[in-house]
Amino acid sequence: MTLDTVRVLIVDDQAAFRSAARLVVEMAEGFEVVGEAETAEDGLSQLQALSPDLVLMDVNLPGMDGLEATRRIVAGQGPPVVLVLSTYSSGDYEDRAVDAGAAAFISKSDFDPFSLQEAWESAQAS
Amino acid sequence: MVLAEDSYFVREGVRLLFDVADEIELVASVSDYPALLGAVEEHDPDVVLTDIRMPPTHTDEGIQAARTLRESHPGIGVLVLSQYVDPDYALRLFEDGTQGRGYLLKERVSDVEQVVRAIQDVNGGGSAIDPQVVDALVEARSKGPSPLDELTPRESEVLEHLAQGKTNAGIAEDLVLSERAIEKHINNIFSKLGLTPESETNRRVRAVLMYLSEGGG
Repeated sequence: MTLDTVRVLIVDDQAAFRSAARLVVEMAEGFEVVGEAETAEDGLSQLQALSPDLVLMDVNLPGMDGLEATRRIVAGQGPPVVLVLSTYSSGDYEDRAVDAGAAAFISKSDFDPFSLQEAWESAQAS
Repeated sequence: MVLAEDSYFVREGVRLLFDVADEIELVASVSDYPALLGAVEEHDPDVVLTDIRMPPTHTDEGIQAARTLRESHPGIGVLVLSQYVDPDYALRLFEDGTQGRGYLLKERVSDVEQVVRAIQDVNGGGSAIDPQVVDALVEARSKGPSPLDELTPRESEVLEHLAQGKTNAGIAEDLVLSERAIEKHINNIFSKLGLTPESETNRRVRAVLMYLSEGGG
């Protein structure tokens, strides 16, 4: 790990998809997973302790949904970059995710180390 | 079961999902069409769970697989996962019969019980259809009483046989009626279900999907 490593928090209610996201993040050079949360509420509380650089946020979560959680995260001080991930196709959620303050929406079918890196770099450039 | 999905993330996610589902044993997971056909030959699975668009062409490999396997391995159930509600894919999937075929939206994958149920349905020779796909296919399936209730007992019987993928001649033989009588019943079914004339195949599939979506079969 170097000082430049991007620290990632994964929020997804499905353990299988948290694990799959972890595999993708670990395949991407320069990224590491620092935490996993099953709910938006848990994700928000881990944010304080972990100060991640990047949050991978699922849309459909029990209780508070991923879009509301994104709004709350970006309203905070020095917020991390939020990437919204969903199994829904981008047409349904892309605009809503960006309106909520996400840097990008990535369909789960398109999520891989390259799309992660690309989304992170374009968030840094903007 | 064999899984075919070109997205690494979704493939791994689904694989991990089934790690905890005792009812399903995943024997191979592959990322393109040729590998899917190879895995079927090697493992002779009960069910294939497949994405629609995969290499080499990223068009309709999952539907092609369902149709090819109907010929080569009629005993294998195929559940297709689709990113989008695309009635054309669904029509083509069910065109040569609904037995052992299913069409689910990918967004259902987060509900493992629903996916397992759909896999079991196609494994048993039944079918599974995402309600959103039926809604897109059958505009007449709106609120209010079901148009299926309008069918006479004989018409319901004919529709049930249609859902089994039988030809008019096959239904005529089973019900000991003339083919002409069957055609008349089918036209009445189309008219009562509000299925406007278009291609004959589409109307047959739509009628069957309405029947299945309301618990028939």
